[in-house]
Amino acid sequence: MVNAAVLLEARDVEFAYGTGAPVLRGLSLELRGGRLVALLGPNAAGKSTLLRVLAGSLRPQRGAVHSAGGALLALPVRERARRIALVPQALSSLPLQTLEDFVLGGRYAHQAGALAATRADREVVARALIDCDLAGCEHNLLDELSGGQRQRALLARALAQQAGVLLVDEPTNALDPEHQLAVFDLLARLARDGRAVAVVTHDMNLAGQYADEVLLLARGELCARGAPERILQPAQLVPVYGSRLWFGSFHGRPCVLPARDAGQAEPGLPRSDQGPR
Amino acid sequence: MSGRSGQARARVLTGVLLLALLLLVPAALVVGGSAEIGARDALRAVAAWLGLADPLPGHLQTIAQLRLWRALVAAAVGASLSFSGALLQGVFRNALASPSVIGVSAGASLGAAAAIALLGGLLPTWLSGGLWSPTPWLVVGGAFAGAVLVCMLVVRLATVDGRLSVPTLLLVGIAVNTCIAGALAALQSLTLDDFQIARAILAWTFGTLDDRSAAHALLAVIALSAALAVAPWVARELDLFAGGEQDAQALGVHLARTKFLALGAAALAAAAATAVAGQISFVGLVVPHLLRSVVGHGHARLLPLSALGGAAFLLGADVAQRALLGHLALQPGILMSIVGGPFFLYLLWRERRSTVAW
Repeated sequence: MVNAAVLLEARDVEFAYGTGAPVLRGLSLELRGGRLVALLGPNAAGKSTLLRVLAGSLRPQRGAVHSAGGALLALPVRERARRIALVPQALSSLPLQTLEDFVLGGRYAHQAGALAATRADREVVARALIDCDLAGCEHNLLDELSGGQRQRALLARALAQQAGVLLVDEPTNALDPEHQLAVFDLLARLARDGRAVAVVTHDMNLAGQYADEVLLLARGELCARGAPERILQPAQLVPVYGSRLWFGSFHGRPCVLPARDAGQAEPGLPRSDQGPR
Repeated sequence: MSGRSGQARARVLTGVLLLALLLLVPAALVVGGSAEIGARDALRAVAAWLGLADPLPGHLQTIAQLRLWRALVAAAVGASLSFSGALLQGVFRNALASPSVIGVSAGASLGAAAAIALLGGLLPTWLSGGLWSPTPWLVVGGAFAGAVLVCMLVVRLATVDGRLSVPTLLLVGIAVNTCIAGALAALQSLTLDDFQIARAILAWTFGTLDDRSAAHALLAVIALSAALAVAPWVARELDLFAGGEQDAQALGVHLARTKFLALGAAALAAAAATAVAGQISFVGLVVPHLLRSVVGHGHARLLPLSALGGAAFLLGADVAQRALLGHLALQPGILMSIVGGPFFLYLLWRERRSTVAW
């Protein structure tokens, strides 16, 4: 597992929007096949920007992203889309398409200019819809779907890309607990199948339960990385998120909650500084 | 709109539009004030023009032929404007974009007017010189340069970080249209003493289908064909633009190439249409818009149908108004503005809530 192939690697990446302050400051990381990596960090830490740099959507001012040894941005854009699938938090506008047509968009990079989708394309799409619990909605328009279904539609489209690297931006925002777990079950399964999966999330508990590795981002820098049990601890999180957190454990996995009165003793619950190591 | 039913409707609509065009061309020969040509004579005139029959007696064949050119120009111009509108609406992801709204038609108009003014002495050949005189090509070239410049300006001003701001797009359209109206007025007042030039420029601003020749028809058809040829290279790409440019890129769309091809074709089609028939609004806005509600948003169907629908629409409007109004018939540019303004307001009214982000 540790020696799995590096599918995507960022080396010393620095990025700023326009002439603004840098959003990413000399950041290096690698994503290996077979591993689910959770990217944690407060708002404005640069998580979404990092995903877009890793996907090749944004060009870093310094440093570079490498895919299978070569510079990512030197690859044709179609080849990039065959290697890396990006699941955005939301789209800037809602396409007026059926769910099936929308998910077929994920096949674009595999179709050599053909206008009509092949049978194989439709099979890949059907599979992706089943994986995302959307089977039966193929012919619904996107604006007829619920917020949670739309979020899973984005994931389904990325699955249809059949890329080795999956970059997912806050996939559980609009989902109920059961669907949150279903999405992470799916991401974990995709990682087990050999994909490199990186997921940006604010849900430290899902990260703690599913991720092989947690990367903690703050102010555009990587300030900690390692197994969830090591990162989801007061020593790592309090300097980044502040002290209003409750630390505990659940079935041996670290558990972190936002806590209104953190630091005050409360009978029956372990205090944050007594959390299990 | 499910994919399947959209496809079935597209097939039916293609048949209906082709049939309409087939009926409208002979109809265009029958209607009109100056000479009575019956339906049978109209068909014979077309056959004679194709070398299949004896020409009509005397000046009737000439009149029929003039009406035929007018019909061909109307169809080609309608197709060009509508196709251009469909491309622009795809690139800008907004149903309110069209060659006239964002100023591409105005840019073409100014380019054409500038070319006419510069070529002033050569102008008479534009009307009588035919195909092999350089003048019409230079006027189209001027129109194309104007249209491309406006396209580049609009793209540059209305997109920030790869995202398009719709209010900005429309405001840029207002600003561009205002600037160009001023420049056009200045050009007209400077050339006021030269009757030939002043009249030719004035005719542009109205949009005219009068006195169209084989050269006009050929120009419009060549430019339209060149523009239509890019459709297979941008149709699927424009579908993927619907979720935003960055999203399309992440799916493997080459943004620069797609925009270059789509906007270049849109500018060429709008420029040629404007160069041969003047500024005609409304067609490029409404035809793609109406078709989308019938066949859905897929550009593989929408782009060719827009061309077909635009051809039937402008030719049909011209035939209808000449049949109803006779000598009082308006220039198509004027007619389209009178109908188009209110329709645009209706569109704004209906869509005022629908610009909701996901």
